[in-house]
Amino acid sequence: MTTPPRHQASRANPRLGNPPFTDLPLGRPPRADPLPASAPPSEASLADAPVVDGWLWPPDAPHPDVFAETPAGQVRVRAPVPAAGLAEALLSPLRAASRRLATRPVRQIATALASAAGALVRQLDDDALREIAANAALSTAMAREVVEGVAEAWTLRALDRLLRAEFPDPRALDGFTPDGHRAVRAAAPGTTLHIGSGTVPGVTVTSMIRALLVKSAVLAKPGAGDVALSVRFARALREADPVVGAAAAVHYWPGGDPAHDAWERALLHGADQAVVHGADAAIESVRARAPAATRLVEHSHRLGVAVVDPARAPDSAAHAARAVALCDQRGCVSVHLFLVLASPEEAARWCSALAARLAALHDALPPAAADAGTLSALHQLHGRLAMKRAASGALQLWTPRNPPSPTSQELDPAQTRRAAGNTPLLPSIRGVPSWTVVLATMEEFEPVGSRTAWVVPVPDLPACLRALGPISPALQTVGLAGAPDEPVRESDESAGAPDEPVGESRFVESLAALGATRIVPLSEMPFPDATWLHDGARPLGELVRWTEARSGGAE
Amino acid sequence: MPALAGELAAWFGRWKGPTRTPTASGPDEFNDDAFNDWALRVHAVQRATTPALRRFWHEAGCRSPSRWEEIPPVPAAAFRDVAIGPASAEAVFRTSGTTRGQSRRGEHRVASLALYRAAARGNYRCHLLRGLKSTRVVSLVPNPGAVPDSSLAAMAGFVCDEPEVSAATWAFDANTGVDVEAVRRAVAAPWPGEPLPHDNGACGRDEGAPRRHARPSHEPVLMLATAFALVQLMDAVEAAGRDSASEGLLLPPGSRVMETGGFKGRTAEVDRESLYRRIRTVLGVPESHVTGEYGMTELLSQAYDAVAGAAGPPAARVQRFPPWVRTRALDPSTLAPQPPGRPGLLAHFDLANAGSASPVLTEDLGATTGDGGFRLLGRATGAAPRGCSLLAESFFRAATGSASS
Repeated sequence: MTTPPRHQASRANPRLGNPPFTDLPLGRPPRADPLPASAPPSEASLADAPVVDGWLWPPDAPHPDVFAETPAGQVRVRAPVPAAGLAEALLSPLRAASRRLATRPVRQIATALASAAGALVRQLDDDALREIAANAALSTAMAREVVEGVAEAWTLRALDRLLRAEFPDPRALDGFTPDGHRAVRAAAPGTTLHIGSGTVPGVTVTSMIRALLVKSAVLAKPGAGDVALSVRFARALREADPVVGAAAAVHYWPGGDPAHDAWERALLHGADQAVVHGADAAIESVRARAPAATRLVEHSHRLGVAVVDPARAPDSAAHAARAVALCDQRGCVSVHLFLVLASPEEAARWCSALAARLAALHDALPPAAADAGTLSALHQLHGRLAMKRAASGALQLWTPRNPPSPTSQELDPAQTRRAAGNTPLLPSIRGVPSWTVVLATMEEFEPVGSRTAWVVPVPDLPACLRALGPISPALQTVGLAGAPDEPVRESDESAGAPDEPVGESRFVESLAALGATRIVPLSEMPFPDATWLHDGARPLGELVRWTEARSGGAE
Repeated sequence: MPALAGELAAWFGRWKGPTRTPTASGPDEFNDDAFNDWALRVHAVQRATTPALRRFWHEAGCRSPSRWEEIPPVPAAAFRDVAIGPASAEAVFRTSGTTRGQSRRGEHRVASLALYRAAARGNYRCHLLRGLKSTRVVSLVPNPGAVPDSSLAAMAGFVCDEPEVSAATWAFDANTGVDVEAVRRAVAAPWPGEPLPHDNGACGRDEGAPRRHARPSHEPVLMLATAFALVQLMDAVEAAGRDSASEGLLLPPGSRVMETGGFKGRTAEVDRESLYRRIRTVLGVPESHVTGEYGMTELLSQAYDAVAGAAGPPAARVQRFPPWVRTRALDPSTLAPQPPGRPGLLAHFDLANAGSASPVLTEDLGATTGDGGFRLLGRATGAAPRGCSLLAESFFRAATGSASS
C-alpha cells in the first residue's frame, strides 16, 4: 500500500507474470531495477542488524506462530506473516474492545492516551532512541527532536484542546448533549485501520490517538520507519490503561506486496474505516480494493513552501534552516521551497545565511549514516544540480563543498566562510554534501529532499501567488516569515478562485484559494498543533458520524 | 568531432575480441596508455565543444587532467536535465523512465551513429555471433523504425545487419507486447530460398544492403530480448500449453538468447538462474547459450557476461566491456576508487561517448575483477528514506495534472 520497499517484488517481476503492455520497456529497460531490489553490499550487514518487534496484537487474539523479518532502515522488523484468515482474528477482539471503549468517558480516554504518551517520552533513553532512530534512518539527535516535537500534540492539555476545537461539547462522544432544539451525539465506527507509509516517526501514533480518542479501536500498520515508536506507544498504552490499550493493535507488513493482497483486502473489508497515508499510487490501490461500506480517510503526500521577506524577518534564515533540517525534509509539513520577497542579489545573501545555518545544524541535528543506496542517490542529486548550474548561469548552489557562486563575492566574507568556504569543518554524510541551497527560478524547482532548500526570488506578493499557482495541487503548509498580511491586488486570475472578482484580498486568503490548508509562521512549520486541520479536514471530525435527536416539542 | 568519431570508429574496428587483455601494457594498441591518450583527447574535445561540461568539470576542480581517472564522472541522472551532446545529433536516445513527463526523460544526443555502430559491433560480434555461420534473429526488442529513440532498438538493428543474419523478425509491439505467433512462425520451418513472411523489413538494415534468404529449419535462432519480454513470451507459451494441446516453442539446436535488463542483484541472481532454467525448459536454449547484456542509454558501448555458446553458470559470470571502456568501482561515500573485489558505485569511461560525455557515474553497484571486467552486484537506488513529503515524481505528476486540468 506504500511505496514498494526494496526487498519486495514490483509488478515487472518476471516471477509475477506480465506487466501491462503500456509499461513494457520500449527501449533500454529502465535503470530502476524491475526485480526485487538487490541488496547492495552495504546492506549485507542487515543480516546482523538489530531486530525490532513490529507487532502488538490485541490480548484476546491468537498467538502467532509464523514470523517474517523485513529490513526497515537499519533494523529488521519482525512481525507475524500476514494471512487473510488472520484478519478476522485481529479485528474481532478489536471490535469487542471498541464496545468496552464506548462506555469510557472521553476524558478518561484522553487521560490514558496522554499518560501513555508521557511515559513513552519519559522512557526515551539512549537504547530507545537508538532503536527509533535506526528504524527511521535518522540520527539519534534528530529522532529525539522529532519525537519530542510531535509529542507536544499528545499531552492531555493538547488533546483537551483538540477535543474542544472539534466538538462544541466533547461529551457528545459520551452521549447525547443539548444542541439548541436538538440533542446530538458523535460516534466513530467500531474499528479503524491505519495504513501508514514512510519513515517519519510519530505519524502512526498521532493517527492511533485520534481514532482512540473518538472511541474507535485501531489496527495500525505503521510506515516502515515508524514501527518502533508505534509499538512502544501501544505497549505504553496497555500499561497505562488496559481497557484503552486493548483497543489498539499494531502490525507491520511491507505494503504494496502483491503477496499481501488477500490480507489487505480482508482487513479493508473487516474494518469500518481506514485512514490511509501514502503516495497517490498507494491511496488509489486502497480505493480500488476497499468496499463501499468501508469509509476512507486519505492523506496523500504534500508539499510545504515558505514565503519570506528577509528585510522584515531577520531571524528567518535560522527558522528556515531548522524547518529544512528537521526529519531531513521527509514530512508532509517539511519545507522545500522558499519564495523570497527580494531582488536576486538580496536573495543570494539570504541563501548564504541559510547555508550558514544549515551548516551549523549539521552538528546539532546530524543526518543519519547513509547506506549505499542513499549515498548513490545523493551523488546523483548533487551531480545533477552541479550540471544544471553548469548549464544555466541562473542557478546558484551552496553546499558544504562548493564555494559560493560568483554573485556571492559580494557577501559578507565571514558569512561566506561560514556558509561554504570551510569544507574541512563541515563533515558531510561521509563525504556527500549533507545539505544544499539552490537559488533558482521557479521553472527549475523540484522537491528532492535530503535537506535541499530551493530559493526563488520574487518581486512582490502577486508574483509569489503566480509562482505557487502551478504547484497548488500539491500544496499543504505555507510558512510565513515577514510576509505581510496585507491586501494583495490580484492582477492575475490564477491567484484567486476562478469566480472571485479581481480586487484586493488578504494574502492568506489568496493562499487558501490556491489550496494551502495550513498557513503558519515559518518557525512553527515543523510541528503542527494538535488542533491541526490535517490536509484541510478536522482530524477527529472526519472519523465520526453525528446523530441528532429531536423531540416533538421542538417543532 | 566528425574526424575524431571516424578515427575512433576505425580504432574500434581493429579490435579482434576479448582474447586480448584490455589492461595489459605493452605494444597493444588497446593498452592502458593508449586508452589514456584517447581519453584525454576525447575529454579535450568534450570540454571545448560543450560549455556545460566544461563548467561542470571546472567547478569540480578538474583543470588539466593527465589521467582519465582524474576526470569527474557525470552522474547518469544529469542526462535528464541537460542536453548532453551536439545540437545537430544524428540520433537522440531517451531513457525509459520518466520523472518529469516525457520532456524530462534522460536524453543522450548521439553525434555519430556510425561510431555507435562501431562501438556496439565489436562486442556483440564477439559475444553473440561468434561461431555462427548463419542465423535468424527473432527480436523481442522493438523495431528501431518504430522506436527511433531507443538505443537498444538501434543496437538490435545493427545486429540484424550482420552478414550472418539471414532474416529478422520483430516480434514486439509497443501497444500489444510480444507477438507470440510471430515468434512461432519465425521459429518454424522457413521457406527455403525465400524471405520469411514475417521478415518485416526496415529493421535498421542499411538501405541497399543485400537481403539474405532464410535457411532451413535447423538454422539456429538468435533471440534478442529484454527480461520482461522473455518472461512474457514464456508465460504465453506455457499458458497456451496448459489451455490446449498447443505445442511448445523450442528453438532450433544451437540457438542463442541475449537477455538484457532486470537482473542486478544478489537476490535477483536466484531469479536470473530461475529465468535461465526456464529458458532452457520452455525455449530449449541451455544457459550456456544465454548471454546477459549490460547497457544503458547513457553509454554507447555495452558489456556482455559470456560468449553465447560457451557461457558458464550465471553466478560465475563477469561483465566485460570492449577495451575502449574502463570501469571503476567508487566508494559510495567518497567516490574514491575501490580496489578490485571491493564493491562500489560503478563509473564507466566510454570513449564511444566522444560526442557527449565519456565518464558516467551510474547507480549500479559492482566490483571490478582486476582484469578489466566487473561483477554486477546490485542497484543502489530506492534506499533513500521516504516520508510523507511530496517528492519529485509525484510532484510533477500533480503539477502536470494541474496544468492539464
